Amino acid sequence: MKLAIINGSPRRKKSNSKILIERFLKGYYRECTDEVPVHYLAGQKRKEEALSLFEQAETVLVVFPLYTDCMPGMVKEFFEEVSKPGIIRPRRIGFIVQSGFPEAIHSVYVERYLAKFVKRLKREYLGTVIRGGVEGIQIMPPGMTRKLFSHFEELGRYFAEHDEFSPEIMEVLRKPYTLSGRRRMMFNLLKHTGLTNFYWNSHLKKNGAWEKRFDRPYENAQP
Amino acid sequence: MNITILNGDMSDTSGDFSAYIQKLARKLREEHRVNLFLLNQMNIQHCSGCWNCWWKTPGRCNTNDDAEQVLRAVINSDFVIFASPLMAGFVSSLLKRMTDRFVGLLHPYIEMRNGESHHIKRYPHYPDFGVILAKEPDTDEEDLAIVRDIYDRFALNFHAQQRYLKCIETSNVKEVVHETSHYQRVAEA
Repeated sequence: MKLAIINGSPRRKKSNSKILIERFLKGYYRECTDEVPVHYLAGQKRKEEALSLFEQAETVLVVFPLYTDCMPGMVKEFFEEVSKPGIIRPRRIGFIVQSGFPEAIHSVYVERYLAKFVKRLKREYLGTVIRGGVEGIQIMPPGMTRKLFSHFEELGRYFAEHDEFSPEIMEVLRKPYTLSGRRRMMFNLLKHTGLTNFYWNSHLKKNGAWEKRFDRPYENAQP
Repeated sequence: MNITILNGDMSDTSGDFSAYIQKLARKLREEHRVNLFLLNQMNIQHCSGCWNCWWKTPGRCNTNDDAEQVLRAVINSDFVIFASPLMAGFVSSLLKRMTDRFVGLLHPYIEMRNGESHHIKRYPHYPDFGVILAKEPDTDEEDLAIVRDIYDRFALNFHAQQRYLKCIETSNVKEVVHETSHYQRVAEA
């Protein structure tokens, strides 16, 4: 098996990671017909299946959302499993980290961990693709996601052809690293209109939870 | 001062690390109210990413497990200690699993802070924290810097500050008690 992908999103088939993986593979299959299995870490017995995949593939890509500034607990659990002695490991390992925050800066700290983790396994590190602003892509109109999806397709096509991530596309995807002064100013102006929280507000209203949005259910009563 | 300790040791908690944390809790109890959670003796599920705690039952996680008592203790604490032996270069998946559940303690709305986007507060106060680790045989300074920096980022999003990162091999219990209690004096000043 040449390439295998592990989806570390707790949302499994409803995940944004799945959408990005599908776009990556759409591009990949333009250049390579080898089947690429995709396994989910979430769910019963999934860990064993992912572990088996890890042992069989020449290259593994692990894709996950940023959770509290790092990898989700279930991805960390998987890392602990594959670090145990006696596990056969792929020759090369790479990562795709996506987050809801628009800036890449939130994900570069876990990137350092991932690079060190692969070094600890004594395997070749393929790098980490970082993409922010991914929360909400499932409800965005096609015009808003066209560029993103096209980049991921090109990332996959390039990977099939060169056996590595395209440095140029990685650079494009991790923009913005931080928000420009102009964008921050726009945000601060727009926040008064409610537009910046439109995504959250629409869900809160749909669920009848709008009035409770500032609830503090775990706060102890003051004496 | 209210102190919550989250022990993410995944072994049988009879080893050196948990013995250290038990001793630390005992010493801290001489002056403070201490909640010690042995996470490996609790039912803590993974965050499912459903966002119900953000948009269906704001602030409340609907997963039926023991996480709520930890979340209550944490948000009502003055100080939290994240404790775990390093595993594959980071804190245990058990401690990470619990920390993932903190998401509902924040509000989904975003604000600009330090020139970056971060979640706004749900609660008026978030506890500062310390991190206590045990090294693996191959742990080096780079590993410790990576963990420290990730927890600094977490602190930024959690409206708090990381006050210390200690390893049980190089910091004795007395030192950690002193720094934790000294923090109290700074906070009260």
